[in-house]
Amino acid sequence: MDLFSNLALGFGVALSPMTLFLAVVGCFLGTIIGALPGLGPSNGVAILIPITFSLGLDATAALVLLTSVYYGAMYGGRISSILLNIPGDEPAMMTTLDGYPMAKNGRAGDALVISGVASFVGALLATLALALVAPYLARIAYKFGPAEYFALYALAFATLGGMASNNQAKAALASFIGLAIALIGLDNNSGFTRFTGGNLHLSDGVDFLVAIVGLFAVSEVFVFIETHGKSSAVGVTLGKVTVPWKDLWETRWTMLRSSAVGFVAGILPGAGASLGSFMTYMMEKGIAGEKGGFGTGVAKGVAAPEAGNNAAAGGALVPMLTLGVPGSGTTAVLLAVLMTLNITPGPTLFTDRPDVVWGLIASLLIANFVLLAMNVPMVKVFVKILMVPPAILLPGVTMISFVGIYSLSGSYFDLVLMIAFGVMGYAFRKMDIPTVPVILGILLGYQMENNLRHAMTLSGGEWTYLFSSPIASVLWVAAILGFFAPIFLRRFLKKPQLTED
Amino acid sequence: MKFTFLKALGTSAAISLMAASSAWSTECIAPANPGGGWDFTCRQIGKILFDIGQVDAPVQVTNMAGAGGGLAFSTVVAERNTDADLIVAASSATTTRLAQKAFGDATADQVRFVGAIGGDPGVIVVAKDSPFQTLGDMVEAIKADPASVAFAGGSAAGGFDHMKPLMVLKAAGFDDITAVKYIGVDGGADAITQTVGGFTQAMTGDMSEIVGFIKSGEVRALAVLTEERVPGFEDIPTAKEQGFDVVAVNWRGLYVPGGISDADFQKWADRLQAVADSAEWKEAMAANGLAPFTKVGGDFQSWIDEVIAQTEDLSREIGVIQ
Amino acid sequence: MKTDRIFGVVVILVALAFIVSAYNLPAGNIFDKLGPKAFPIIVGIGMILSAAMLVIKPDPEPDWPALPTLLALGLATVVLVGYAYALKPLGFLLPTAIAAAILSYQITPKRVPAMLTGLGLSVALFVIFKYALGLSLLALPRGMMG
Repeated sequence: MDLFSNLALGFGVALSPMTLFLAVVGCFLGTIIGALPGLGPSNGVAILIPITFSLGLDATAALVLLTSVYYGAMYGGRISSILLNIPGDEPAMMTTLDGYPMAKNGRAGDALVISGVASFVGALLATLALALVAPYLARIAYKFGPAEYFALYALAFATLGGMASNNQAKAALASFIGLAIALIGLDNNSGFTRFTGGNLHLSDGVDFLVAIVGLFAVSEVFVFIETHGKSSAVGVTLGKVTVPWKDLWETRWTMLRSSAVGFVAGILPGAGASLGSFMTYMMEKGIAGEKGGFGTGVAKGVAAPEAGNNAAAGGALVPMLTLGVPGSGTTAVLLAVLMTLNITPGPTLFTDRPDVVWGLIASLLIANFVLLAMNVPMVKVFVKILMVPPAILLPGVTMISFVGIYSLSGSYFDLVLMIAFGVMGYAFRKMDIPTVPVILGILLGYQMENNLRHAMTLSGGEWTYLFSSPIASVLWVAAILGFFAPIFLRRFLKKPQLTED
Repeated sequence: MKFTFLKALGTSAAISLMAASSAWSTECIAPANPGGGWDFTCRQIGKILFDIGQVDAPVQVTNMAGAGGGLAFSTVVAERNTDADLIVAASSATTTRLAQKAFGDATADQVRFVGAIGGDPGVIVVAKDSPFQTLGDMVEAIKADPASVAFAGGSAAGGFDHMKPLMVLKAAGFDDITAVKYIGVDGGADAITQTVGGFTQAMTGDMSEIVGFIKSGEVRALAVLTEERVPGFEDIPTAKEQGFDVVAVNWRGLYVPGGISDADFQKWADRLQAVADSAEWKEAMAANGLAPFTKVGGDFQSWIDEVIAQTEDLSREIGVIQ
Repeated sequence: MKTDRIFGVVVILVALAFIVSAYNLPAGNIFDKLGPKAFPIIVGIGMILSAAMLVIKPDPEPDWPALPTLLALGLATVVLVGYAYALKPLGFLLPTAIAAAILSYQITPKRVPAMLTGLGLSVALFVIFKYALGLSLLALPRGMMG
């Protein structure tokens, strides 16, 4: 069988002491980077690019190091989501929804172990799937034209209506506010600058990361100042950290389903891990129904997004390796690494450079085991972060956020904008307006508009084009159901539990 | 996903910016996200400059995405105008945008164009099952019904990729070029994906963007827009031999700040020539579908002025500028 | 009640300004059928509709903090903005120590621990960022670095 000989080739490359060492270093750095709010997988990889080249690593070694960081960051992202209610990176956003309530209920250790195992399952299955079907699966991307993408984004927003807030109008409003923010800046298609009020700093748009760090991290400081650290994140108590076998067993199907869905979401170019964790969470929430208690701190609510986003991280490598189309921001950076190393990604990469592809896949498999070891037995180390009093931790988080953002652009303006998002996040929390849809709007707005405009250009202004393919139609039907079903259900069933964003 | 991209780059940009202030190395600004042509130019030229001993330390690559290269351009003009250790990746897109006044008031004479040392030949590509066998077939179909063929390309409307099919159509005597559909997606690979998926009928882009897809047989190149067939891709006919006299090459090269001395300019011209002559660069070109296209120094500057004038005319005709 | 209504009205006004601003953008052409104005107008209408729902059916009044707390939050905001502007000219160490100390004091009002927090954080983070992650931070004002 091809797969085995390919993997044997890969392990031959990956099992050298140097490569193993790089995988361990990458995993460790990645976990820290992922856990730090404001530093996500793409930053982590970007930071290490110059180092990689100054070390004079060869193609495989460089790729192994950087993808280990990538996977590590995907694991690490969950840590601050659970412990601080601050996502370490965008895809870990959904993990806050149940991870943080679990930690508040005194189950921080359980949440970390469950999410660690879910990350492992998701990443491992995705890596295997990547190895098995990459050349075939990549063809799904060909089925997605502008109309299909637009419908997909619409679906993402519509299903948001049922999430994070009891008031659909507020969820919708948050989505539109996010989209409006996304539209600020230069419009690439026409060359016109929109909604900047003449402010040059805004002409390149609002950086997604500035918004997320502001809305999640800085607003947290305000909440802490208001409450003086009482009744909030750091009130989490640490019990004995044991492996919650029962929860792991009960979430087994959740993990498997989420891995599959996350992997597919990751494959879609541009959709990436955020959509993967979002879709898996919503799917599991739907399957569990009202009784599932999603949003109150249930194991499945932690397992689903973590399996989903780690599977998506694997999935995102598929279009990157086979088509040269990055599936996420991080894979775009990895793509740059490949190009610099004179490796042309494309359908031929698997045949032309099997050492690179299979060496990479083998080291990803190894990295997964390293990460499981780091993220489950070492879970106590991370929970220790919680023992730090809020008066130290929160200023620390704020300063890290500032340095993270400052290192991005070196601009005062971004820092001030981040503070403004912090104030907005605080006010929105008070008003029970969910902030997740704002982020999703900022994240998807640019692509959503582009795809709509492309669709209209191709169809000559015919709106029915948006619904003209079977895939698009199915996505639209799902979107409409996703938006209206919760209203309908809410009327006839009891009001769902209030959830925190 | 511009935001995720931005944060990725931003980090490396900020780091390199700060590193540059310690003045230990030459800096190459790639005015775009990692993964694109400018990034490739900086990284390859930077690597080779160091490998062949033209500079003493590895060249620091800074990604400064923004305004289609305008951010880098205005930063160089405003803040680094006399920095002799700074090079900036440039290509046809740079001159196209300068010609279309896309960088605000910036003009080409505010910087000095050092040279081009490779060219990415323009190509027009269709899916493997497309009814079009030759460029002529496609031109005929467009003449019959301009809306029947939609192009996808990696540049925005009015950009270089958009210009390529329009130049061909004009050469074919078809003047209603504003009736031809074009969508500008996020890069050549995206454009191919849309074309293979049947959402657009043809892709217009650069040779380097299609190499993998041509080899895998998913797309066919109808024409390459060069004087001669490209070495390594001899089975792709030129537009010229099919009767459409169009040459459109996305050259890869550098500009330097406008305020540096003639001696420093000459130093960069010599270094760039050394890269062009190196075996490493030839290898890198071959691996990435670049064709030899070397114009360095004073000649290059005058050629640039000419190209900008031509682009201005065509842009005015399709209404991209007034 | 009141908060949702006021916010709804504010959003509607902002959305109207947004739509007017979009309306003044050029229309599309053959290369871009919708042009730069259509999608913003759709988003603006969406904002108005959902904000109108807030005005019509507001949720119960949120639990806003009392005036002294609001003032403390205002102070924190001012400190953060000041920090943002101080980072570049004054280097990392000094502004970080001061801002962290103030925030720490605001969360738990104890002077000595707050000052120690400021000092400790600024040094520890500097070491991590500079040496572990390789960010080129300036420790002190450029002039003092020689």
